Amino acid sequence: MKSDIKLSSNYLIKQLPKATAYVGLNFEIIYISDSWKNNFGPFHTEIVGSNILCIFPLLSQKWQKDFEKCFSGFTTTNNTSIYNSKQKNSWLEWSMTPWYDEHENRIGAIIQIEDVTTSIKTKQELEKLKILVNVKSEIAKIGSWEFNALTRKLTWCKMTKLIHEVPSDFEPNIEIGLNFYKPGYNQNKISEIVEKGIITGESWNEKLQLITANKREIWVIATGKPIFEDGKYIGIIGTLQDITEVVATAQKTKESEHLLKTLIDNLPVNIFIKDLDSKKILVNKSEANFIGMSSEEIIGKDDFDHYDKKTAQLAREQDLRVMRSLKPILGEETINFKKNGLKTILLTSKIPLFDDDHKIKGIVGFSLDISQIKQKEEELRRLIHLSNLQNKKLVNFAHIISHNLRSHTANFSMLLGFLIKEKEELERENLLNMLMNASDNLLETLDNLNEVVAINTNVNLEIGTINLKTKIKTILKSLNHLVKNKKTRIVTQIPEFLNLKGNPAYIENILLNVISNAIKFAKSDIDHCVEISAEKYKNHIVVAVKDNGFGIDLEKNKDKLFGMYKTFHQQPNSKGIGLYIAKNQIEAMNGKFYLESKVGVGTTFKIFFNDND
Amino acid sequence: MIMINSIFIIDDDAITVFGIKKLLSSVILCDQVNDYANGKDAIDAIKKLISTAAELPDIIFLDLNMPILDGWGFLDEFIKLAIEKTITINIVTSSINNEDRERALIYKFRTHHLLTYNTKPLSKQEIEKITSAA
Repeated sequence: MKSDIKLSSNYLIKQLPKATAYVGLNFEIIYISDSWKNNFGPFHTEIVGSNILCIFPLLSQKWQKDFEKCFSGFTTTNNTSIYNSKQKNSWLEWSMTPWYDEHENRIGAIIQIEDVTTSIKTKQELEKLKILVNVKSEIAKIGSWEFNALTRKLTWCKMTKLIHEVPSDFEPNIEIGLNFYKPGYNQNKISEIVEKGIITGESWNEKLQLITANKREIWVIATGKPIFEDGKYIGIIGTLQDITEVVATAQKTKESEHLLKTLIDNLPVNIFIKDLDSKKILVNKSEANFIGMSSEEIIGKDDFDHYDKKTAQLAREQDLRVMRSLKPILGEETINFKKNGLKTILLTSKIPLFDDDHKIKGIVGFSLDISQIKQKEEELRRLIHLSNLQNKKLVNFAHIISHNLRSHTANFSMLLGFLIKEKEELERENLLNMLMNASDNLLETLDNLNEVVAINTNVNLEIGTINLKTKIKTILKSLNHLVKNKKTRIVTQIPEFLNLKGNPAYIENILLNVISNAIKFAKSDIDHCVEISAEKYKNHIVVAVKDNGFGIDLEKNKDKLFGMYKTFHQQPNSKGIGLYIAKNQIEAMNGKFYLESKVGVGTTFKIFFNDND
Repeated sequence: MIMINSIFIIDDDAITVFGIKKLLSSVILCDQVNDYANGKDAIDAIKKLISTAAELPDIIFLDLNMPILDGWGFLDEFIKLAIEKTITINIVTSSINNEDRERALIYKFRTHHLLTYNTKPLSKQEIEKITSAA
């Protein structure tokens, strides 16, 4: 019977699902389950009767201690250790209980073992993940939190507390948590999304401002995800990330970008950046205004889209010069024509633009519209020219005065010298007559000079309108005697409507002088003809007086044409003052004379009367 | 008194012509004193004299500022003429302009004729000097 039981207990043990061994007080294995033999071995030797401590050499010391404890009546539970020297990280869990016979005598120990490698590995993995999460949360400043809806308990992780700047033993609740958000928009927003999330189950991710326990305003990204179990809301888990630095950096970048853009846009210089194909990739406001389009419309286009072909071609060549030589062009003056023909003068600088590898990737250009400055410069130059002319005229006039006065004084001096020594009465009278004559001449000269001065100093010139045709008719009538004398044929071709603007006395004198000159210069051998015509030409009314008289060698007489007391032809009444005064008069009215002449053929005298208001 | 055969006065100012003639008469004896009111008349007269192989003037008084052909124009034409005889040409001008004086110097070096520069009014001493040199 006993042996039956023995047999049956042996059989029972053999079938135990968990690896189990019955060990005697001398560490000899008495019984062992098949599950042990199949899973742990040893597979080739008879295990019953062998020493248990020999099975896993790595564990023999630990097991000896545990067995000895067990033999004295203590139970050992769930010890784990690495057991396989061949397979690293193989973990074994064992528990031992004392083995009693039916008389409650301890006859050994029962050991059960289990390979827990997988669960240990999982545990380790979990541990690792936990550490990783912590490290990550520390580095990224991402904290986590959890709200349990049943207990209404809010849990903050270490980092979340750090972000809130509260001590590690701080115990938050949902109200306190929400109150950390900046009052106003931020608090309203977080309350709103949390409420909405609880109802709809939607998670959130929001950039918000928070005020820490130390009253510091920070930026955070708050995320949350409501948790449901069997469709029932049980809480929320979420994270909190401190992004103040990121926001500050972004803000700073945005600010400097804004500053740069404001600066570039408001510089009174056209700024543009072009790529290697001379297509514009950036333009400032000035450039956009200059082209007359929005910068969006300009980007991606080149100069051929905005300028005349030749202008664009030149600009492209300039770009290429910079991109090839890698040397900037500074302050080059170019004349630009837009598509509509508008001309501008630009002062342009172009600088090569390099990428990170120091390879050319385009150009930065600056150009300044200097059309107005140029125009001013031109005006100034004209003014200087004018004042030069005036100056020359003045010097010339001073020479004329000095020359004239000197020639008269010389005559006085000489005649007086004769007179003092002359004793003969008749000759004295003759000399006195000559002196009288010289004196009259001097007076006349002074009158003439005075007239010239008056013409040149008369600022408030009386201006009137004179019908040209009528005036010429009157003048010809007054010259009737001369015309008959010279047997001159006069041809006039003057439109009825032409009116001259200017000082009536000047106009009369000018016309009289020019026309009478033309009549006087008649050659005796041919039919003398004077043609008077007039037309409007631009801002002038041009009166042309053409004769077929002597003609003047203009090259030879360049300096003398309108000089005072210079005459070209020995004619009675040709004193040389008439044209000089006429020239001063026409210039006083902003007009001019123009002469074409050929010796022996004739002269065409053109008078340009200013017709501007 | 010195005898001079022929003198030309080229000046458009009647008083000057009168003065020169009067001064000459007090210093020298001369049968032929001709005056011309401009350079062209004078040069035409000289050309005529050359063509008829008549005697050319010994002394010329020349004004600068004259109509048609002025003193400079006369000099240009005159220098070009083939004249062997050395003629004294006296510029007599009211111009005290240095430019004119320098311009006269240039002509002086371009011709074998004697060229002097005088300003109006001419004095008796100057006439004496001019006539004695001729």
